[in-house]
Amino acid sequence: MNKLLNFGIYCWSWIATFGVFIVVGLLLFYLLSQGLPTIGKELFFGDAPVWEAIFGQVRVWDALWPACVGTVFLVLLAALLALPLGISSGIYLACFAPKTFKRILSLLVELLAGTPSIVMGLFGFALILFLRNTFLPDANTSLLLAAACLALLILPYLIFTTQSALESLSDEYRLIGPSLGFNQMQTVFHVLIPAAGRSILSGVVLSIGRAAEDTAVIMLTGVIANAGLPQGLLGKFEALPFRIFYLTAEYRTPDELGSAHGTALVLLCLTGILYSSAFALHKTLEYRWNQHR
Amino acid sequence: MEPAPMKHKPFCNIRNLHVSFHGRTVLQKINFTLNNKGILVLVGPSGSGKTTFLRSLNRLNEYYPGYSGGGKIELNLSGSMQDIHCPNLELTELRRQVGMVFQTPNILPVSIAQNVNLPLKLVTGLNKAERKERLIEVLQEVHLWDEVKDRLKENSSRLSGGQQQRLCLARVLALKPKVLLLDEPTASLDFKASHRIEDLLLELQDRYQIIAVSHSLRQARKIAGQILVIKEGQIEHLLNKEQFGDQEMFQKLLNDIF
Repeated sequence: MNKLLNFGIYCWSWIATFGVFIVVGLLLFYLLSQGLPTIGKELFFGDAPVWEAIFGQVRVWDALWPACVGTVFLVLLAALLALPLGISSGIYLACFAPKTFKRILSLLVELLAGTPSIVMGLFGFALILFLRNTFLPDANTSLLLAAACLALLILPYLIFTTQSALESLSDEYRLIGPSLGFNQMQTVFHVLIPAAGRSILSGVVLSIGRAAEDTAVIMLTGVIANAGLPQGLLGKFEALPFRIFYLTAEYRTPDELGSAHGTALVLLCLTGILYSSAFALHKTLEYRWNQHR
Repeated sequence: MEPAPMKHKPFCNIRNLHVSFHGRTVLQKINFTLNNKGILVLVGPSGSGKTTFLRSLNRLNEYYPGYSGGGKIELNLSGSMQDIHCPNLELTELRRQVGMVFQTPNILPVSIAQNVNLPLKLVTGLNKAERKERLIEVLQEVHLWDEVKDRLKENSSRLSGGQQQRLCLARVLALKPKVLLLDEPTASLDFKASHRIEDLLLELQDRYQIIAVSHSLRQARKIAGQILVIKEGQIEHLLNKEQFGDQEMFQKLLNDIF
């Protein structure tokens, strides 16, 4: 009986693994077959000359370039806002927070994690309405607002992964610092965080991916279809996921649907690049930490 | 500049030490004064409080949840007896002077050199050249230098268990402690590596006051100057060399105790 159960579990694990493989493979195949033919100068820049378009001297219509730039700016800005806050909150919760306070804070973070992204968007939108009616009549939805709402969305991922990465270190490992006469700060920053670095990074990567793909938040906070390149923090912007959304929702010709697939492929590559640069950054940090000081 | 030998001077004076975790008593009514007569080895059944006793001496117990305890512990640190709970003695300074090596090799996941360098940098404030010098000195002291001198920048996890444990010892020695606490330092090592560590401890015993927990009676007899038998959180016996020198008598005594 036990043997049969073991065999069953074994088979199921194989099927499950294989299933994931198949699903991801099919998805990639579909995207590649539909999107790859559309990839080209036309998809990115439309009729505009390439170099002028890249540097923003010529306006690009009905093409990807502004959305690519918009998404990169959006993600970087959101990460810039969320990373320091999220990681330091995680460190505080894991290493410094008093017990009861920690319980309350963790509850709040869980609440934040459970908030749907559209609610974050709504919150941003309501904030702008409030500001307009009170002391900032010129306030408008913008890149900065969208990034701030996105930052709010990814904050709990960062806090959770940082906290659990630090808390999962073994008791003996935690004692290295104190046993060598380190104070608590030194223990946290020179012993615990470097050891938890890899797991913290995976949280960063996850949250960057989450920020890049989210549409609901930015829809209410500043993205529009034909904004061109982002004109500063307080300007409107375009973004890849939103472009995919409106192309597939409102396409009139098969070509437009095709370019939506192309856009999806580009978004996938973009997140891939973001992931790998985060990974490369981590490698560099690890290398430097390892060096003879 | 080696620490001066502290032969036959009192080095440890404990009055009414008691420790409990979450209300469960682990050590109680510990009273004794100890002279420096070589390595002090703690033996006793598992769960008898040996490790807790060891951790009382560098106040590491206070890191564990549910700790409560009291009593007075004086150690001979800088030539005179010093109360380790005295507010004038910084906790970090106490732990520098009372170094500890754990049961399993507890290396930092960095290079071999960095394992010794990081504590030196953070705790002692030596400059780079002095740190380099100290690194070589302690690696030679634990006989690791010849094995690692060409691979100092390699990750220390590539060392064998015995080498890692000697690296941990070197890391502690680099901070120039007065007392060394060793919590079953050979528990995770094979026979040969254990022997190397034991021989090393015998070499070091003149320079540092060593207190070690051991699970092996063979090892205890080999390295100890005195043996402290702990049972159910209390001190049962303090044996000197004559008492455990004769194996049969020692065995009989232990059979009576356990």
